[in-house]
Amino acid sequence: MNAAITEHESALPSGRPTINLAAQGRQLGTLMILPAQLLLLFIVAFPLLMQIYISMTYWGPTDGVSWVYAYQSLNWFDNYVTFFTDGGLWAAIARTLFIMVVAVPLEFVLGLGLATLFVDNFPGRRIFYSILLTPMMVVPAVAGYMFYMLFQSNGPVNQILSILSHSNVQLVWLSVPNLALAAVIAVDVWEWTPLVFLILLAGLLAVPEDQLRAAMMLGASWPQRFRRIILPRMRTVITIVIILRLVEAFKLFDVMFVMTRGGPGTATETISVYIYKQTFNGLEWSYVAAIGLTLLVILSALAVVGMRFMKYEMEIEKEMAPATIEGKR
Amino acid sequence: MNRSKVFLGAGRYLLVGLASVIALIPVVWMATMAFKPREEWTSGIDQLSWLPENPTLDNFWFIFTGRAPKLLVAIDRTAVGPAISSLVCATLGTIIAVVVGTLAAYGVSRFKVGQNLPLSILQLRLFPPLAVMIPVMIMWAYLGLIDTWWGLSLIYGIVTLPFSFWLMMTFFDDLPREIEEAALVEGCTPWIVFRRVTLPMVKAPLATTILFVFILNWSDYAIALLLTRKDWITIPVFMNALSTAMTGQMYGAKAALGLIAAIPPVVLGILIQKYLVRGLTFGALKQ
Repeated sequence: MNAAITEHESALPSGRPTINLAAQGRQLGTLMILPAQLLLLFIVAFPLLMQIYISMTYWGPTDGVSWVYAYQSLNWFDNYVTFFTDGGLWAAIARTLFIMVVAVPLEFVLGLGLATLFVDNFPGRRIFYSILLTPMMVVPAVAGYMFYMLFQSNGPVNQILSILSHSNVQLVWLSVPNLALAAVIAVDVWEWTPLVFLILLAGLLAVPEDQLRAAMMLGASWPQRFRRIILPRMRTVITIVIILRLVEAFKLFDVMFVMTRGGPGTATETISVYIYKQTFNGLEWSYVAAIGLTLLVILSALAVVGMRFMKYEMEIEKEMAPATIEGKR
Repeated sequence: MNRSKVFLGAGRYLLVGLASVIALIPVVWMATMAFKPREEWTSGIDQLSWLPENPTLDNFWFIFTGRAPKLLVAIDRTAVGPAISSLVCATLGTIIAVVVGTLAAYGVSRFKVGQNLPLSILQLRLFPPLAVMIPVMIMWAYLGLIDTWWGLSLIYGIVTLPFSFWLMMTFFDDLPREIEEAALVEGCTPWIVFRRVTLPMVKAPLATTILFVFILNWSDYAIALLLTRKDWITIPVFMNALSTAMTGQMYGAKAALGLIAAIPPVVLGILIQKYLVRGLTFGALKQ
C-alpha cells in the first residue's frame, strides 16, 4: 500500500519539492487518521469476528453462559441452512423489496416533477422550498407516531377522504394488511420525496443554461430538451439519489416500528423489524447474527458493483460536461 | 404567449401549493394536537377537530411534571430525563464524530495517507443497524456501556462519522493548498498550519457539518432502542412510555413531545439549507 502511494507521488511533476505539504506532513497525517482507524477497528474488526463466531452456534443471551463459551453449542452452518428455509424471513425480505420498488420510483417521479417546477425563479420560491423540505427534517420515529395518529379511523386522513368523496369514509388503515402497507409506503413517500426533490433540483440547476437556450433557439421542445440535454447531464445525480434512497429504504425501521410494529400480523414487517422481533422476542441471537452476516455479504457485493457503476457514470459525465458537476472519487 | 404564461404560472402555484399543504398537514396536525385538552383527543369521540377549541398547555405540563389536573392519569417518569439524554448524547456524539472525522479528513485530503479509509468509513452507513447490532450489544454489555450516556454518545459518534468525514474531506479538497504551503515555507509545522491557517478557513463548513451531524444523531431511534434501557432513553424511545395499557394512547402528550423533538432538526435544517445536498450525498454533489 505505502509503496504504491510513494510511487504515485514521485510520478507527479513536482515543481517545488521543498514545500510539498504531502511530504512534510506524512507523519502528522498518520497521526490524524489514527483515531478514525481505531474507531473503525473497534466497531468493525472485533464485532465482525464475534458475529461470525456466534452465527455458527446456538448461543442466545438467556443461555446462562457468556458468549465466549458459545462454542459449546457449535453447529457450524445450521443457522445458515435455517436462513434459507425460514419463510418469515423471506417474506420480510420480499416485503422490504416491494416497499422499495413502489416507494422509490414514486419518490423519484414526484421529486423530479417538483424539481422542474423550481428551476426558474418565481415569487415565493424560497418559502415554498423551505416548506417542501420540512418532512425530511422531522425525526422519523416522530413521523411514525404522527401518521399513527393521522391514520386512526376517526383521524384526519379519513376525514379528508370523506370530504373529497362526499361519503363517510371509515377505513381502519392500520388494521387491514393492504391498507397498512399502503399507509407505510405513503409515509415513506411523504418523508423522502423532499430529499429526492432537493438533490434533483441541485442537478437540474447545474445543467448549463447556454446549452438549454441554444437548444430552445433551434426549436427543441421541452420534452426534447429534457431527454437530449438535461437527462444525460444528470446521470450522476440520478444514480446517487436512487442509490441513496434504495439503501435507506432497505434499512427502513423507525417509521414502521412506531406506526405498526410490523403489523397487522406481519403485513408491514420489513427485514429490520423481523430482525428486531427475532432479537427480542425470539432471543435467537446466533440466528440473527447469521442473518445479519448474510445481508452484510450480499450488500457489500452490491456496494462494489454500485461503486463500479458510479465510477463509470461519472466518467461518461466528465467527458460530456467537464465543469458542471464534480464527481468525487 | 402571454395567456399561456399566466396559465403556466397559475398551474405552478397550484401544484407547489398542493405539495406544500401535503408536506405541512401532518406536522400542523401534531402541533395543534399538542395544545388540545384531553376531551378533544380521547378515542371516544367520533370526529377529531382540526383546531383546539380550548387551547391548553396541559400536555406540556404533563410530560415534564408527570401530572396535570385535567389529564386524570399520572406517569411516574417525566420527559425531563429523556430530553436531557437526547441533548447530551446527540451533542457528545456530534463532538466525537466531528473531531475524529475532521482530523482524518485533513490527513487523507492533504497528506495522502490512509487511502482506503474513505470507502471503509462509508461502508458503516450501508448496513441496516439492526443486522449488525448483535455483537455491538454484546460488546456494549461486556464493557458496561449499555444505558449510559458515554456508551450512547460513543456509538452515535461512530455511526455519524461517515458524514462528518466525507463532508469535511470535500471541503478540504476544495481549499487551495497554496496558502498552507506558503505558511509551511514560513517555517510553521504542519500541525500549526492546520490549526492556525486551515481551520479558520473552514469555519463555516465546520459549523455546517456540526449541525448536520447533530440533526442525524438527534433523529436516531433504533440505536437508542437497542442500547438504552431506562436511565438514558432518548425522546423518541420515551414516546413509547406514553401509551400503556392503563393510560391508553396519550395523543396530546405524545404530540407535545413529538413537537419538542421535531423542532430542533427543522430549525437547524433551515439554517444549513445551502449545504444540505452536499451533506446528504456525502459531499458527492455540491450545490
